[in-house]
Amino acid sequence: MKGTDGLLAARLAAGDELALAEAFDQFGSAVYHAALRVLRNETAAQDIVQDVFVELWCRPDRYDPALGTLPAYLIVIARNRAVDMVRSELRRVARQDRSGRLEAEEASPSPAEEVIASHVAAAVRAAVQLLPDSQRRIVELAYFGGLTFKEAAKVAGIPEGTAKSRIRLALAKLEDELDASLLESS
Amino acid sequence: MTAAGSDQVLPLGLRERVLAASLRARAAGRAEPAAPEISPAEAFSRAADAFDGTLGLLDGRQWQVPALRGLDVQGLVGHLTGVEEDVHRGLAGDPEVAAADHVASTQPAADRQAGCSPAQTRAEWRRAADRTVDLVRGADLRAVVAVHGIQVPLGLLLVVRAFELWVHDNDIRAAVALPPAVPDASTLTLMTGAAVGLLPFAVARAGLTDPLRLHLVLTGPGGGTWDLAVGQGPSAPAAVAIVTDAVGFCRLAGNRVTPAGLDPHVTGDQDRATAVLAAVATLALD
Repeated sequence: MKGTDGLLAARLAAGDELALAEAFDQFGSAVYHAALRVLRNETAAQDIVQDVFVELWCRPDRYDPALGTLPAYLIVIARNRAVDMVRSELRRVARQDRSGRLEAEEASPSPAEEVIASHVAAAVRAAVQLLPDSQRRIVELAYFGGLTFKEAAKVAGIPEGTAKSRIRLALAKLEDELDASLLESS
Repeated sequence: MTAAGSDQVLPLGLRERVLAASLRARAAGRAEPAAPEISPAEAFSRAADAFDGTLGLLDGRQWQVPALRGLDVQGLVGHLTGVEEDVHRGLAGDPEVAAADHVASTQPAADRQAGCSPAQTRAEWRRAADRTVDLVRGADLRAVVAVHGIQVPLGLLLVVRAFELWVHDNDIRAAVALPPAVPDASTLTLMTGAAVGLLPFAVARAGLTDPLRLHLVLTGPGGGTWDLAVGQGPSAPAAVAIVTDAVGFCRLAGNRVTPAGLDPHVTGDQDRATAVLAAVATLALD
């Protein structure tokens, strides 16, 4: 038979619900803590865990055992989803700053969402302040200033490609910083 | 609030929540990605096309290579022509063919290939297979057909026939050193479903009467998961889980591989699992 991960993935593809339970029992904790490291919020991390395992169950063919282990695959998905959530929150905070209001602009979030958002927003704001000046400037223009990459590059007086490159570097550092800040606090 | 395992800490209820959400999004049992559904008649037609495709690969010398039960390739194709002719008679309700022996009844068709060219043999078989396709077009797939000692709904008969064509396709391929053929996922789905559906019958016929809860997982295209209760009796049922690939399981049901040759992943009583798989081989869907 295939290796352990390959066998588990094949069973998932065959609709074996016992394999799903086994996958959760083996990797659920790692996935949860990967999400928690980025988000620093239990409720949001649980949502990520659910998303990750629903995707594994519904699209088991997306996992290729030849490319890595199953836990590594699941943790990467969890981290990506968590970072997406942070980025989304980054944009939301930026919109609020632009409008000069503390309240949300659109549909009113639930109290639980407010709590999650405030945790993430605080972490994001702190992380942005630790970026090198050149990167922080372009992030503030693009996200907090609401400018397009092209407009932000023009204001910063740098080529658009350089602006995009700095934003990519900045977002990578934000992810690392958010991880590190949790590790320090835990 | 959290639930603590040794060094694993997860929020209470998260496991149940995640499993429930997953099973709401996709029901257990069916393979993913799911193969497009086809009718049993289409499965038979595809198997016939695949078999014809293999015949088209053979040179004249290869038609004379020994293939099965003392038949060369040409004789085996003749046997299949005889099967088609008996199925035609079965569809017409002929009582003689209902009880006829599968091999003995078709031996004259195999014998008469001597002296025929391969092209003639191939054309005769193709006409007979096409005639089967014509006869079942629009027919009631639930109608019971009796042929060669079995009485089954027409739909199941056509899937069994697809099984037979695939098994003999690979008999010929093995005889002439061609790589084995694998049915498409849609056809394979019907084949695995038919074999699993017949499994309790095979287990009972093999005398495995003690109650057993079987969790059967067939992996790969055409696979799926089944929970079967087989046997009966006062004792508490034993639990066995068998994981193996769908194509291998079909080869087993065609009696072309042994349970050991399958290399299954078994949880529970190994001996019971081996006995169940050996019973599957007795289905001999060839």
